[in-house]
Amino acid sequence: MKRAELDFDRPQALQAAGPPERRGLERDEVRLLVTTERGHEHARFRDLPRFLAPGTLLVVNTSATLPASLPARHPALGPLVANVSTWYGGGSYLVELRRSAAEPGPLPVEAGDHLEIAGEPARLVAPHPGLPRLWFVRVENSLRPAMERAGSPIRYGYLEAPYPPLADYQTLFARQPGSAEMPSAGRPFTLRVVNALQARGIGLAGVTLHTGVSSHEVEADEVEDQTLYAEPFEVPQHTAEAVTAARRERRPVIAVGTTVIRALESAWDRDRVRPAAGFTRLLVHPGRPVRSVDGLITGLHDPLASHLAMLHAVAPGELVRAGYTEAVREGYLWHEFGDSHLLMAGAA
Amino acid sequence: MHRTALITGGSRGLGRTVAEFLAAQGYDLVITGRGEAEIEEAARTLRRHGGPVTALAGDVADPAHRRRLARAARDLGGLDLLLNNASTLGATPLPPLAEYPLDALEEAFRVNVLAPLALIREVLPLLAQSGGLVVNVSSDAARGGYPGWGGYGLTKAALDLASLTLANELAGRFVGVVAVDPGDLRTRMHQEAFPGEDISDRPLPEVTLPFWAWLLEQPRRDVTGRRYQAQADCWEVNAPAAELAEVAV
Repeated sequence: MKRAELDFDRPQALQAAGPPERRGLERDEVRLLVTTERGHEHARFRDLPRFLAPGTLLVVNTSATLPASLPARHPALGPLVANVSTWYGGGSYLVELRRSAAEPGPLPVEAGDHLEIAGEPARLVAPHPGLPRLWFVRVENSLRPAMERAGSPIRYGYLEAPYPPLADYQTLFARQPGSAEMPSAGRPFTLRVVNALQARGIGLAGVTLHTGVSSHEVEADEVEDQTLYAEPFEVPQHTAEAVTAARRERRPVIAVGTTVIRALESAWDRDRVRPAAGFTRLLVHPGRPVRSVDGLITGLHDPLASHLAMLHAVAPGELVRAGYTEAVREGYLWHEFGDSHLLMAGAA
Repeated sequence: MHRTALITGGSRGLGRTVAEFLAAQGYDLVITGRGEAEIEEAARTLRRHGGPVTALAGDVADPAHRRRLARAARDLGGLDLLLNNASTLGATPLPPLAEYPLDALEEAFRVNVLAPLALIREVLPLLAQSGGLVVNVSSDAARGGYPGWGGYGLTKAALDLASLTLANELAGRFVGVVAVDPGDLRTRMHQEAFPGEDISDRPLPEVTLPFWAWLLEQPRRDVTGRRYQAQADCWEVNAPAAELAEVAV
């Protein structure tokens, strides 16, 4: 798949600069674009249950968001932002260094540089291969206390002040802290939506995948060649069995978020989902068929985002592109506090 | 936290890249290779990270050299990681097994199987003290049955089984053992296997750094006995996935 196939025009205005609550909407009142082989329908997220058949299994991500953006100081470059992407264990982290929320790197730093992250001494170990904005960093102590003390949710230039508190970055399903950025596909779910789904005989199961920072733009000419960094994940036994049973019984499985597809496809083994845990950097693209799910609920993704390749693996390219054209035409909002997209390969 | 690693085949290629990564994190190092000038040069650059680097030139197939390596680790205060990376391709150009000179095959076993095993024995008390990790470098030649790769592949298949067996035998002593297939890399050794061919499409050994970053921080019990591919999409642990209750909202 060519990088150019992931490109499209998205007007600057179509960015959610804050949570829908600021626009007078509840979480579940954001818009929902429904794309199926029948075409595209426009709805509100709380209409979701009527688009899903009884017996459908929804799989959600139970990862909770950390206040992972920390102030940092470099001896030569002065004050920086250190967005903590991924914890590798012990004092080993993958970190994105930026000048500010609006100004990305890469920065002129070198392996061996000593810096302070929220006052914690840290040393730059090595850049991530293929992703020079991301650095392996070693600290003496866990950065979690630093996050509690001095961290704020990672944010980028499109977000407007006053910046939302951490609670706005937790989905209804959030349990295990670990994500650098909210797995936002789950954000529009509210209790009333879940109750309506359950009343309709739609099941819920959970996986955990802790997101890293969203440096996901495809730079390689061939999408399959794009380097992705690895993220921690876990598919528990209960969920592995539920998804496997749904596949066998031909009941639809819908992933809530690209993170869920990444986890389930990583755990897929021939004809079933196995319980699995570890790190995954699987790139899902049209060249490798998606076996574990029939559809996806997700936000709207930026031009050239690697997540778009995943959408093209879930549904035919013309359908995905037509959906995005529709979303732009109808003024849907992008980003983590924006609108939602239900994409299904078969008819609803 | 002070940690020590012993790396064989540390002058260049994968061994050198891992040594650099570890030195940059504050590991004390013992490195070895056959060429004295090369191992000294490697040590000089590694020392710029500020930690001690003991460079010993010698052949891992030599018992006396192995004892020296163990002593060097002891002198640094212990051992947390043994990277059995030094390997020989065996006879080159790679002959089919039906024609493989048996003495060359024996030699390849000495270097690629017996030496790593013997080195593990030498440093085992140190590893047991720290709950350390043994990493034995493998290859897909151990599995592929590729024509011409049977000699080298035999030795790596044997090392793979040694890794699994040792992992089971040493579980009670809290020493972890893993096999790691680094994948195709642009190194001198790889070039020797493909003489005259352009191998510039292979990635440099740095491509494996995220894997090492991950592996070295995992609890030993979670990885021991596994065989990993450093360039794979997924690195999994042994621990059964924690049972989550049904999604609670």
